[in-house]
Amino acid sequence: MRGVKSQTLYWMAITFVLFPILILLGIYMRSVQAGALGELQGWFYPMMTLHGVGMVGVWYVASMGCVANVLSKYVSPSPAIGRLAIVGSVAGVALLLACVFLGRFAGGWYFLYPLPLKGEWPLWSAVTFLASLTVLGATWLIWSLDLLRAIASKYSLPQALGWHYLSGRDQPQLPPAILIITVSLIASVAALGAGVIALALFYNEILTGAPSDALLMKNLIFFFGHTVVNLAMYLGVALVYEVLPHYAGRPWKTNKVVVISWNAVLLIVLFAYFHHLYMDFVQPGVLQYLGQIASYASAIPAAVVTIFGALLLVYRARMRWNLASILLVLGLAGWAIGGLGALIDSTISVNLRLHNTLWVPAHFHTYMVAGLVFLVVGYFYHVCQEASATPENVGYHKLLATLLVVGAYGFFMMFYLSGAYSVPRRFAAYPSELAHGATYSGVAAAFAGLFLLGFALYVVETGKRWRKALHSGV
Amino acid sequence: MFRRALLLVVVMLPLSWAAQADTAAAGSLLYEQKCAACHTIGQGDRIGPDLRNVAERRTEAWLVRFITAPDEMIAAKDETALRLVEKYNRIMMPNLGLSETDARAVLDHIQAVSAAVPASSAPPTPSTPFSKPELRAPQSTIFTAFLISSVIVAAVFAWIALSTRSPAEVDVKRAYGWRKAFFGSGVIALVALLAATAPRAPYAGAETKPDRIVHVAARQFEFVFADEPITSAADLGRAPTIQRLELQAGELVEFRVTGLDVNHAFGLYGPQRQLVAQTQAMPGYVNRLLVRFTEPGQYKVLCLEYCAAGHHLMQTSLTVH
Repeated sequence: MRGVKSQTLYWMAITFVLFPILILLGIYMRSVQAGALGELQGWFYPMMTLHGVGMVGVWYVASMGCVANVLSKYVSPSPAIGRLAIVGSVAGVALLLACVFLGRFAGGWYFLYPLPLKGEWPLWSAVTFLASLTVLGATWLIWSLDLLRAIASKYSLPQALGWHYLSGRDQPQLPPAILIITVSLIASVAALGAGVIALALFYNEILTGAPSDALLMKNLIFFFGHTVVNLAMYLGVALVYEVLPHYAGRPWKTNKVVVISWNAVLLIVLFAYFHHLYMDFVQPGVLQYLGQIASYASAIPAAVVTIFGALLLVYRARMRWNLASILLVLGLAGWAIGGLGALIDSTISVNLRLHNTLWVPAHFHTYMVAGLVFLVVGYFYHVCQEASATPENVGYHKLLATLLVVGAYGFFMMFYLSGAYSVPRRFAAYPSELAHGATYSGVAAAFAGLFLLGFALYVVETGKRWRKALHSGV
Repeated sequence: MFRRALLLVVVMLPLSWAAQADTAAAGSLLYEQKCAACHTIGQGDRIGPDLRNVAERRTEAWLVRFITAPDEMIAAKDETALRLVEKYNRIMMPNLGLSETDARAVLDHIQAVSAAVPASSAPPTPSTPFSKPELRAPQSTIFTAFLISSVIVAAVFAWIALSTRSPAEVDVKRAYGWRKAFFGSGVIALVALLAATAPRAPYAGAETKPDRIVHVAARQFEFVFADEPITSAADLGRAPTIQRLELQAGELVEFRVTGLDVNHAFGLYGPQRQLVAQTQAMPGYVNRLLVRFTEPGQYKVLCLEYCAAGHHLMQTSLTVH
């Protein structure tokens, strides 16, 4: 592992291996809900936990690996910290696998207090799970801080946040990706800090027996979990700003509107997580309404600035379509459609009917899979193709993208439909009154299988270029 | 001599009866606090097996050992214990910290209740699945709104992608004008949506006077209804609980919901099998959920916050007349 750029290739390899395994776990879960694999139902909740932590973790590190690669074009992230990120993430995953497969830990990826300490699994497995999150959280915190350090070595904080554009100056020129990465990493440090406090309170209870306040823990855990997932999405968006102009043959520069928009995101993203606590009626009312306002407000910069800007960039451009540019545009569409599902659910009076139904995995799978995953794998392909200059078959790329889209949206639609019918999320089996949920689960498993096939073909297509890139020493 | 013996009998008999009554009360209390969340006596399997006449299926020594140290028996690979774990979806009975005396008191209670439960009320046959219900408002409206807006987004993206077939320069200033209009209309739409929906938030005001208050305690893996607050597992078996909750249509009912161990959620499903309302059941807090029941029928309550292996089996019901 020579430098940050070649480390990105290792992150790709890790993603190519882990993502299909985690998809298989998802297919297993939907199959159990469909009434198949009954003899394996006892593993449903441990696998649900592994699927959740695994997916969040894989796509967080994949997007971080990509932005480290983008940053290395402008500044110098530390290769040593990059290596630490890989080693720390692998160590965290090893601990996670031990607690799930040996200890049958099933506290859920969001480890809602005090469940990890009060389940049917042994205490050692809960401690191992918390240790896994501690290793991952500490590693990612150090990684985030190093990327911020690298940015700070060239830009002062006001410059990295683009404040000079507000006073009409455009020097030093700030690539939009740097602005978005700076905003995301600052918020990421705050989120990881909240995660550290939540973990410390867990350890405190294990060591001293002193219980924590359930509402405080819920706020800390959702601030951490929601924000980390949200920021992974924004890191993916930074990739669009960096790469899409290359395919559209038009520049996409930072300006006053882009700066205002992404500085607003830094504020908004810290308050949106309150929408996870709407159904905790004892949470102060002002925070509930603040949650709805922040959730609505987060749609404005996303839709008006980023998506409008991207569409304007592509509109009637001499577009060079290939797997990268197709997936980047599809990724923005997935972000927008998933965002609509999220916006609807972030309305308090609607959340009363949708909270913890399958509507929730519906919208987050939409913007994570058809949004973030498409953006990151589009960028992966771009990096490998640029390094290998392999001849491309655009017709085949369109076919591949169609397979991924049909698989993904067919799978999502079953979630949306189930959510509208009030089918609960996180149920290993449905009560007879909601037996129709099993039918949707079966159809969803079939579509997920189609998506998996599409992803396998994508890995073959990108893998050929990945090998060349590795040998050419990117 | 005879007088002394008679005196002894007269004194000791009530003491013996009192001791028996104490044991029975202790057994009943322990059963409610430790066992009832997962088992029934004569009403069928729940998370674990129906315990009616369990003494006829297992030896007392085995039962006492299993009740006091189920984890040790499973670790020691006791054949019967392992078979039970497999049969009940690998949900393992936790070590409840009961002594041998406690276990015998619980067994006595189970025996006494088993004798009183008529054989006809033993395990009900599994219910047949319901057919798919009709999707009703507001969920149908929400789903339709989502579908329409998603199709519009997809159509815009498709139009932009197809526009690249005829490349041309774009008038950026005109496009920024469109962006301003998009921003303005987006802000107006969101503010209007906020203004229209915020008053419908489900939070109860301090001044709200319900027709009836029902206390709900949730624990792994049951809901308990009561007229008085239940704030800890120690209250179970001491405070009276409502076995069958029956409400009147038109009543404004306030559910005061709490969790006794971990987070749960009180998800209320109407007769049409769609969510009517919900709130979280959190340890140490009481959430006040107001529901005006407009439709008579059978309502189901499901746990909507993941709470460990028996989560999907945690449910109860209530009737609105």
